[in-house]
Amino acid sequence: MDPNNATYPVKLYVYDISKGMARQLSPLMLGIQLDGIWHTAIVVHGEEFFYGGGGITNCQPGETSLGEPNSIIDLGTTEVTVDIFMEYLTSLGESTYRGNQYHLFEWNCNTFSNEVAQFLTGSKIPAHITDLPAEVLSTPFGQAIRPLLDSISIAPQGGNTFNGQYGQR
Amino acid sequence: MAESSGTDPTVDSNVVENAAKDRTMIVVTVKTPKDKEEIAILEDSSVAQFKEEISKRFNAKLDQLVLIFAGKILKDGDTLNQHGIKDGLTVHLVIKTAPKATSGSTSQNSASSSGTPQANSSSSASSPVPNASTPPGTGPAIQPPNLLSGFGDLSSLSGMGMGSANFMELQQQMQRQLMSNPEMLSQIMDNPLVQNMMSNPDLMRQMIVTNPQMQQLMERNPEISHMLNNPELMRQTMELARNPAMMQEMMRNQDRALSNLESIPGGYNALRRMYTDIQEPMFSAAREQFGNNPFSALGGNLDSGVQPSRTENREPLPNPWGPPGTAPSESRGTGSSTTTSSNGGTAPSVSSLPNPLGINASGLGNGVFSSPGMQSLMQQISENPQLMQNMLSAPYMRSMMQSLAQNPDLASQMQNPEALSVMTNPRAMQALMQIQQGLQTLQTEAPGLMPSLAPGGIPGIPSTTGGSVAPEGPPPPTQGSNPSADVSPSQQQQQLMQQMLQMFAGGVTTTQAVTPEVRFQQQLDQLSAMGFLNREANLQALIATGGDINAAIERLLGSQPS
Repeated sequence: MDPNNATYPVKLYVYDISKGMARQLSPLMLGIQLDGIWHTAIVVHGEEFFYGGGGITNCQPGETSLGEPNSIIDLGTTEVTVDIFMEYLTSLGESTYRGNQYHLFEWNCNTFSNEVAQFLTGSKIPAHITDLPAEVLSTPFGQAIRPLLDSISIAPQGGNTFNGQYGQR
Repeated sequence: MAESSGTDPTVDSNVVENAAKDRTMIVVTVKTPKDKEEIAILEDSSVAQFKEEISKRFNAKLDQLVLIFAGKILKDGDTLNQHGIKDGLTVHLVIKTAPKATSGSTSQNSASSSGTPQANSSSSASSPVPNASTPPGTGPAIQPPNLLSGFGDLSSLSGMGMGSANFMELQQQMQRQLMSNPEMLSQIMDNPLVQNMMSNPDLMRQMIVTNPQMQQLMERNPEISHMLNNPELMRQTMELARNPAMMQEMMRNQDRALSNLESIPGGYNALRRMYTDIQEPMFSAAREQFGNNPFSALGGNLDSGVQPSRTENREPLPNPWGPPGTAPSESRGTGSSTTTSSNGGTAPSVSSLPNPLGINASGLGNGVFSSPGMQSLMQQISENPQLMQNMLSAPYMRSMMQSLAQNPDLASQMQNPEALSVMTNPRAMQALMQIQQGLQTLQTEAPGLMPSLAPGGIPGIPSTTGGSVAPEGPPPPTQGSNPSADVSPSQQQQQLMQQMLQMFAGGVTTTQAVTPEVRFQQQLDQLSAMGFLNREANLQALIATGGDINAAIERLLGSQPS
């Protein structure tokens, strides 16, 4: 192996945005058991990266307004260096992960985390996170509140954004 | 023929190569952040050859390409097999935009400078993130001075109790500064940092929401929080705030819309309801807490279909009718108040008519005019002549113009600014009507009182008949008869007043359309349902009480033998 191959650990921070409410209320409201409404972020190179209504954002790990993560999943390691990763994120932020493309169900933080995880490590994030929107939409309640959900975007505060597209939407 | 594949640098082999050979072609998806392509290549190719293909397809130089698979960076000397790249798998590609050394530093700089707009997030009570000012890394130690020095020359603020790390207090101090120095606002707005900040709707929303005053506002009126949660509206609002020209445009549009609304029958009532139910408490709350802070009133928008956002000049008009029956005081709310209804020539006569009651209308007017709300309204009107035009173009205005033309005296009265201000206030007009009706009652019941009113000196109208004001027959019914030229001036005056009031109340262009009977139809029905079968008496009672059912009932009970 090349001695130049430094590897960096990649972690997935998983937050429950509902702070436990989903676990309790989902059987009543949706008819299925959801353990949480998951928001995820990728932590690599000492920083946390996530995607929200404000575009791709980064901050110190665990420093968003969501506080500490519910769980941390180890995704493996990557050889991708900081420079390459930043380039990659900048490209993403300008193209497919702009802030105004955010959609709560279809193009959200978990979509982003999934993509970055595959880029960095080749593996995807756990399926129960990415399958969540489909599960919710499969319930009658989910269908009913779909128009409302279309207008929500989740953007935990506390970081710096990548796309730099303020006011240009 | 290209028999050898592995060492052939010019790989045209993807098309020509013979799949039947033991060297097989595989199709690998190459994915960049922006797009992806499928590239067919021999499965035992080296990474270098793969990159050749890629550089052709993506139009990039070889040394700009960085290939990543399974978290590993593919080096030129490796082979695809070595990394396990097989048919149908995806390889990630990053095309470096600049040579490696500078790209790293530029991306870091952009990351930190794009951090400045976010730095102002007030989600926590503690001061904002470092790097608040435009050049990164200037003031590491204390946050508030950095933040404010980034605003340009607000250095005067830095002396104002910067010991408090509480961002809320900072905001309040800033507001105080803003109010005392209007120039400062324009300075602030011009600062690119602020503009950057304001373009971020989430940030603005956060700032607004975490302000405790705003939270109080939101509690009182949930519509505000609803509005704040609507990103489109926020964005629009912020565009407005940044662009005063656009703001004026919007004001103009919505005033036009409003004046159109009033011409719809019943539309005036809807507007009045809107005003009293929603805007008054909101703006009184906003005013007492925010002063002239522009952002506050921006947050006070309703998303009713009729009424897009309004700006800070819509101060609540103070209620001049504390006790009923006092003279309507002048409250000038033209285009910017909810009613641009207008009526003419009643103020001067009003100021004389209630004199027997001992109330000085002009005194009231002074107090009202001097309130800061009034002044800002008037300033707005003077800045935006379009408002007056809108007002004047409403249909009922035309009918009034016609009656103006018929009676030149009325015209002179209309020019009286007090008259104008009374015209624009709906409650003024209603009170006038009540007074009018009261006067008629007086005329019938206490004719001796009337002579004292005639010489009261209605300005602009020569008072010819000194005392014979009381008409022979019953006073003209409030159904609004046409002015007859042979009655005394004050009689004519009253008739004109009634006409005006009728026009105003009914919102129609003729002088005979709306009768009290029609107006009080609902109340009449209610009364008859309760058992008051004397329709005439009901009507009189309703007229006397101005539509107040309970008071009318008392009247009826008082006058009827049980």
